[in-house]
Amino acid sequence: MAKHVVTMIPGEGTGPEICEAVRMVIDASGVDIKWEYEDIGLDCLEKYGTLLPEKTIQSIAKNKVALKGPTTTPIGTGHKSANVTLRKVFDLYANVRPVRLIPALKRPWDKLDIINFRENTEDSYAAIEHMVSDEVAQCLKVITWPGSYRIADFALKWARDNGRKKVLCVHKANIMKMTDGLFLEAFREAAKKYPDIETGDIIVDNCAMQLVRNPGQFDCLVLPNLYGDILTDLCAGLMGGLGFAPGANVGDNCAIFEAVHGSAPKYAGMKKVNPSAVLISGVMMLRWLGEKEAADRIEKAMYAVLDEGKTVTYDVGGTAKTDEYAQAIIDKMRAGTK
Amino acid sequence: MPTFTQEAIATKKKKKIELVGVDLYIITDKGIPQFADGEFGPFKCEFISNRGTKVWPGFVSPDLLMVNWYRCRFMATKPIKDHEVADFLVQLSKKWEWSAAQKLWNYDGEAGYSKAY
Repeated sequence: MAKHVVTMIPGEGTGPEICEAVRMVIDASGVDIKWEYEDIGLDCLEKYGTLLPEKTIQSIAKNKVALKGPTTTPIGTGHKSANVTLRKVFDLYANVRPVRLIPALKRPWDKLDIINFRENTEDSYAAIEHMVSDEVAQCLKVITWPGSYRIADFALKWARDNGRKKVLCVHKANIMKMTDGLFLEAFREAAKKYPDIETGDIIVDNCAMQLVRNPGQFDCLVLPNLYGDILTDLCAGLMGGLGFAPGANVGDNCAIFEAVHGSAPKYAGMKKVNPSAVLISGVMMLRWLGEKEAADRIEKAMYAVLDEGKTVTYDVGGTAKTDEYAQAIIDKMRAGTK
Repeated sequence: MPTFTQEAIATKKKKKIELVGVDLYIITDKGIPQFADGEFGPFKCEFISNRGTKVWPGFVSPDLLMVNWYRCRFMATKPIKDHEVADFLVQLSKKWEWSAAQKLWNYDGEAGYSKAY
């Protein structure tokens, strides 16, 4: 029996070739994982009549952990987003989005090492919208005490467990005194449990400006859903783009690790795209599973391959195929562990 | 020369409006509310959501965080007038505490309200 059973959801477009490369690397690290492959996305519509088949949901419910490739959300078809449905079904309230400097990307910052914790289930994403007259649309921004407290508590605990020093609550409570005020109040309450962590708050517009001017000053940020959606992409931009931006959606009993980029269908089957974002998400997953040593080895090998710049994908100036890049990481990992 | 505001007002389009139901926000600590069809007049509860997630009918994840505030969507079972919504609220108030009600309209036949996840 394998030590870990993980639901693998390759996704759509370039997802399957990316996930295959990532599986190769993770398996080569020696971690004992049985992969359960499941479907998601547009192909499932014809087969199952839904973007997210029940079989996939049941697999995740059983295994409690999944690694997921990118999917395409159809616009204006009336079908619910599979990603949003997954978050709702498993109440994956914490969207964890770390960003850090990757030397090969040659960014202008001296330091960039931020972990963003985006609340993933409420705010103006609660799908409560009405046309309240034929001239006026309204969306309810729903912020709750338990929803706010648990993301703050989660972020502070993650910070403590991972040796981080400072967590800031991002808000606009000076204007939205009830909603963002409640989010901030819950954060301050949760922070009382973590006297060893430095805490504070910052208004979202100032945070955006400070991130662009001097991202090195930030350690961990905890944000309501909408600000988190925007600022986590801004942070990915600081790092050099979504190609290296990993993510995890975590609940109390389940975690789904996935890149935040799209499925790039125009490149599907060409083995051209960079699998790094899903690979780093896989590294996060290994740490989640307690496989820290293997996670560190993969990460170190990936950075070494990127630093050498010989066997890298087109987006970082190379000509390597997706699987060639993965093989180079495996070779580096094996060489490093001799 | 019209101002931008005047131009904007001039582009407004009038639509045919039809009252089709009510979203009612109920406060209760006793779990997911239950309603019998027609209990409060010509309305049928179509779904109930909590923090935007559908909690009735159908599967509810045991992991789901719920608060004491439920959006209950009542759709009219026949063509209705405003006074029937008012009567509905009077009847419902005898049994339930609620924070707000939002009428649901169709605009030129299209729903002017979102579904729940």
